[in-house]
Amino acid sequence: MNILTIPLRNLRRKLLRTLLMIAVFSIGVASVTALLELSKAVGESLEEKLAAYGANILVTPRTETLSVSYGGMALGDVSVDIRSLTEDQTIAAINGIHHKDRLSAVAPKFALLTKVGETPVGVVGVDFDQEMRIKSYWHAQSGDLRLGEGEILAGSEAATRLGLSPGGQVVVEGKPFTVSGVLGPTGSGDDAMLFSDLHALQRAAGRENRVHFVEVAALCSGCPIEEITEQLAAALPGTDVKAMGQVVKSRMMTVEFVERLAVAVSGVILLTACVMIGLSVFSSVNERKNEIGLLRALGYSKASIFTLMSLEGVTLGLAAAVVGQAAGFAASSRLMALLDLGAAAPTFAPAQFAAVFAAVALLSVLASLPPALAAARIEPSQALVML
Amino acid sequence: MLIAEDVVKSFAAKDQAAPVLRGVSLSVSPGEFVCIVGRSGSGKSTLLNILSSLLTPDAGSVRYKGRDLAAMGEGERNKLRATDFSMVFQMHHLLPYLTARENVLAPFLSGLRPVSAARRRQALACLDRVGLADKADRLPGALSGGERQRVAIARALVTEPGIVFADEPTGSLDGDTGGQIMDILSRLNADGLTVLMVTHEPAYAAMASRVIEIRDGRIAAAH
Ligand SMILES: Nc1ncnc2c1ncn2[C@@H]1O[C@H](COP(=O)(O)OP(=O)(O)OP(=O)(O)O)[C@@H](O)[C@H]1O
Ligand SMILES: [Mg+2]
Repeated sequence: MNILTIPLRNLRRKLLRTLLMIAVFSIGVASVTALLELSKAVGESLEEKLAAYGANILVTPRTETLSVSYGGMALGDVSVDIRSLTEDQTIAAINGIHHKDRLSAVAPKFALLTKVGETPVGVVGVDFDQEMRIKSYWHAQSGDLRLGEGEILAGSEAATRLGLSPGGQVVVEGKPFTVSGVLGPTGSGDDAMLFSDLHALQRAAGRENRVHFVEVAALCSGCPIEEITEQLAAALPGTDVKAMGQVVKSRMMTVEFVERLAVAVSGVILLTACVMIGLSVFSSVNERKNEIGLLRALGYSKASIFTLMSLEGVTLGLAAAVVGQAAGFAASSRLMALLDLGAAAPTFAPAQFAAVFAAVALLSVLASLPPALAAARIEPSQALVML
Repeated sequence: MLIAEDVVKSFAAKDQAAPVLRGVSLSVSPGEFVCIVGRSGSGKSTLLNILSSLLTPDAGSVRYKGRDLAAMGEGERNKLRATDFSMVFQMHHLLPYLTARENVLAPFLSGLRPVSAARRRQALACLDRVGLADKADRLPGALSGGERQRVAIARALVTEPGIVFADEPTGSLDGDTGGQIMDILSRLNADGLTVLMVTHEPAYAAMASRVIEIRDGRIAAAH
């Protein structure tokens, strides 16, 4: 028995009201919890999808193109001038933008059309480490998935066509390269290509420090792709910066909209719950004025009365924090199954539980603050007023 | 021990010209059983409540053990009520959701530290002194009016106060039950408890060691 006895007994006496208050507050907490869980899961699954898309921004030199059409029939674009970018400047500019922390890969490319024997083939010089970040689907069909200075990785189709296998030699632009591995089929343009180290290929072609385009990946859910694109365009005058993966972007916007809506709705619910808790404590104070006066006459300090009345609200809040979070978890796992978010399941994170618990405790303290202060102002002489 | 000097009190009611108390002085010594009598509306309750610190006088002073109540800080006054002063009201003023024993312990339920086993035993002993040890775990709703008032007296005893203020503790009870309460109070007084009581009943006043009569806002007679 201590200062908790009186508030707890009073809550038990008004059991129906107590349960109602806990239920209302729990709904608020549950909706917040479900929202947190859902947005986590949606974010994760989006991130997976984004990663599958690879790079989502393409930086190319601006080319003067002419749309040629004749008699209403489009004949395609004719590039008047194919230009290249300066590697070091471009990379430095990209890595210098404001949102540079959001960039997960900056992969420059130097492309070349050459002949191996009599067969024409495309060779792409890549920065292997950066490339692997956006080509997570690459795997070696034979040999190793690596790309040293004098090595070549062959796309599956190109390897067949040129008869290449790991350990074999290829001469590109007069320089010998060793085939380190053959890539498995990817179903993309990569299959028909040979890949070599960026700098080795530049040197072989006598075009040091030149790149044809740069693929940039900003792989995070809720990435401000538009802003990143704008920043890149500003940092790289004379280039075209295009955001790819419009589908992902529009889906992300939908998710963001739903998230905001859910935040707003649960905010309103929580606010309503707070007001209700405050009113509940207020009515408790009003109907117990004489009781509070009596306690003051028994020597209770204002601080004790304040604590006593706040504890009523806080008890409601803490009960709601537990019930609400449990309900929120249950609801979100149901919803995830309904929304087909793959293997996503709500994960119990003690830190998040503690944070929500603390936040709800704080909210309920704030909610019961005005009535508790009113209670603390009740004078001992109130005990004299007949019931 | 308790000394009042020239206490004046009026209420800010429009229809009330004269003050309720117009200069009341009295003193209570340890171990006394003082009764305040007077006709209805004479200001008995007002005087008692001023003495017990629930009301403040317009003029004059109340001193307890040499300390002026008006000069005390908020905390000091709280401590005084918690330890030295105890009150028994006309209505029992028990908390309906606490058992008899818990009600007796109510003065100790204002802190985080749990009530000690010694205090619990003490509460039971107080209930025993008013003859209610066997009903310690009953809620007030399951007690008779007289029993409730006895619980209220036990609550007033548990803090081992210097003085107990009682405003018509028998007022809401029938003759027999009221007599029981008076027996308990005079027995406690015989054990050394200082009691200051307001009553209507001449028979009860006769049990006191001293009777003070209030008339026209002044002390009319003391015997
Ligand atoms: N809070 C108050 N506001 C205004 N007037 C009050 C207040 N309390 C008491 N009075 C007035 O003061 C006078 C004395 O009241 P008090 O309660 O002290 O009388 P009493 O002697 O205890 O009477 P009773 O024997 O009926 O209890 C009465 O006229 C009453 O109307
Ligand atoms: Mg009275």
